[in-house]
Amino acid sequence: MVKITIDGREYEVKEKARVLDIARAHNISIETLCGHESVSPSGNCRLCLVEITTKDGRNRVTPSCIASVEEGLDAKTNSEKVIAERKVSIQKLLARAPKSEAIKEIAKKYGIASTPFPLEDHQNCVLCGLCTRVCQEVVGANAISKVNRSAEPNALPYTVNFDACIACGSCAYICPTGAISLADEGDKRTISWPYQKKDFHMTKCKTCGRFYAPTKQLEYMSKKSGQPMGLFDKCIDDR
Amino acid sequence: MENIGVYAARIAPKLDGLAPGHRACIGCGEALAVRIAMKAMGGNIIIANATGCMEVISSQLPATAWDVPWIHTLFENTAAVASGIESALKVLERKGKIPAKGTKVVAMGGDGGTSDIGFQALSGALERRHDFLYLMFDNEAYMNTGIQRSSATPFGASTTTSPAGKKSIGQKTQKKNMPAIAAAHDIPYVATASPSYPFDMMEKVKKGLAVNGPAFISVFSVCPTGWRSAPELSVRLGRLAVQTGIFPLYEVENGKYKLTIEPTPIRPVQDYLKLQGRFRHLSEGNVKEIQARVTSDYEALKRKAAC
Repeated sequence: MVKITIDGREYEVKEKARVLDIARAHNISIETLCGHESVSPSGNCRLCLVEITTKDGRNRVTPSCIASVEEGLDAKTNSEKVIAERKVSIQKLLARAPKSEAIKEIAKKYGIASTPFPLEDHQNCVLCGLCTRVCQEVVGANAISKVNRSAEPNALPYTVNFDACIACGSCAYICPTGAISLADEGDKRTISWPYQKKDFHMTKCKTCGRFYAPTKQLEYMSKKSGQPMGLFDKCIDDR
Repeated sequence: MENIGVYAARIAPKLDGLAPGHRACIGCGEALAVRIAMKAMGGNIIIANATGCMEVISSQLPATAWDVPWIHTLFENTAAVASGIESALKVLERKGKIPAKGTKVVAMGGDGGTSDIGFQALSGALERRHDFLYLMFDNEAYMNTGIQRSSATPFGASTTTSPAGKKSIGQKTQKKNMPAIAAAHDIPYVATASPSYPFDMMEKVKKGLAVNGPAFISVFSVCPTGWRSAPELSVRLGRLAVQTGIFPLYEVENGKYKLTIEPTPIRPVQDYLKLQGRFRHLSEGNVKEIQARVTSDYEALKRKAAC
């Protein structure tokens, strides 16, 4: 156990814990965008910045999601320095996704109306990487990756491997800026990623006739669980 | 969002605002609904909870199941207490006595505490435009006190004060349409939700909490004890109520109706009624009558959503 201070209050916490998790556990709210409790932290969006002073007096502003605790650490979540740097982060996000409602809302909260950085609209994608981490760590399909991502102006933000994609919709659900969307219509599910789009076939329930899940997802579940495909031919209401 | 359950469920919030160990019956739809709502609301809220099942099961001295500030109110003044909290927060923040943390106020009540006893307080709070979210957990009778009928009890349901017998078919009147009454106050957000459709419900609760002004959500809460149904069927009953059109899921944003789940095909109401003991006495003619009413109500709602 180590003793740390957050916003003037002392907490005794487990070693190797992250500052953000400790703050959350004690109801200290810190702005985040690319973080999620089910996946590993990445420090991409730089909204969760905190000012950290270590025992030997070193002072820095760093993302709290990847900052580990140590004895005598003093974190400030709302100091002037933090707010100033967070505002710059928000301006950068705003330049990257000027049309995203979620980003606009955060900007409004901090009183930011415009950005000094050059606008480059990447269809709302801010490269936070949540979709890739969810696809790898939670779903296990490894369909979205950072392959081919570069500084080139026309490079895709993320590459989707359509053969590996099981159309489960987790990336659309988790995307914080609304860059990925999902629509079901009849026997077709359409998922749109930035600059990419794909239709997937849906399976029909044998009893009620409702299209209830993508065929590829059912195949994936059957493979993972070792159960025959026949087990998955009815929707959850008719099983 | 209807068909993304399997994998997206793993990335739903893990926060559990209602601690385990409370005294709800097996298969309680209301406890499930509260848990899902708490996931969507997060920790930065103050709850005013009307008397009813939820208060009784979660706060037996000296324990509490709540992880957030929580006030037990009477049946009749839940919305009034919530308005008071909201006003007090506003004043204290303005005077600089507490830091502005954006704390939201939530009122919870059952169908009795909302549509019967707490009705005028709720109407007043909606009219005064307090910034709060009202969640009505609709289990269609006064379950906590022993299954007495309320104005939200559906036609034909047998309860202890509307018993079915030789001369009675149970509840003789139709269910009061609370969401429509709330929408008639011209408030920014009204919705119906069901814990059997968790993603839909979480989205609605988030929306209701985010709007500036009052929001009202009617949550379908299956009650195996009062409905005389099997506890393992609670979630299925919630889905069947939506798929038969008995409890359609829709939202009213600034007066604009929108169906959020459109079940195709619509099932016959018998699928839903036959699983419950409270409808066991209904004759074929009664079921036909209910079917006609449900169909016409659903069509009317669809017309509202279309325009």
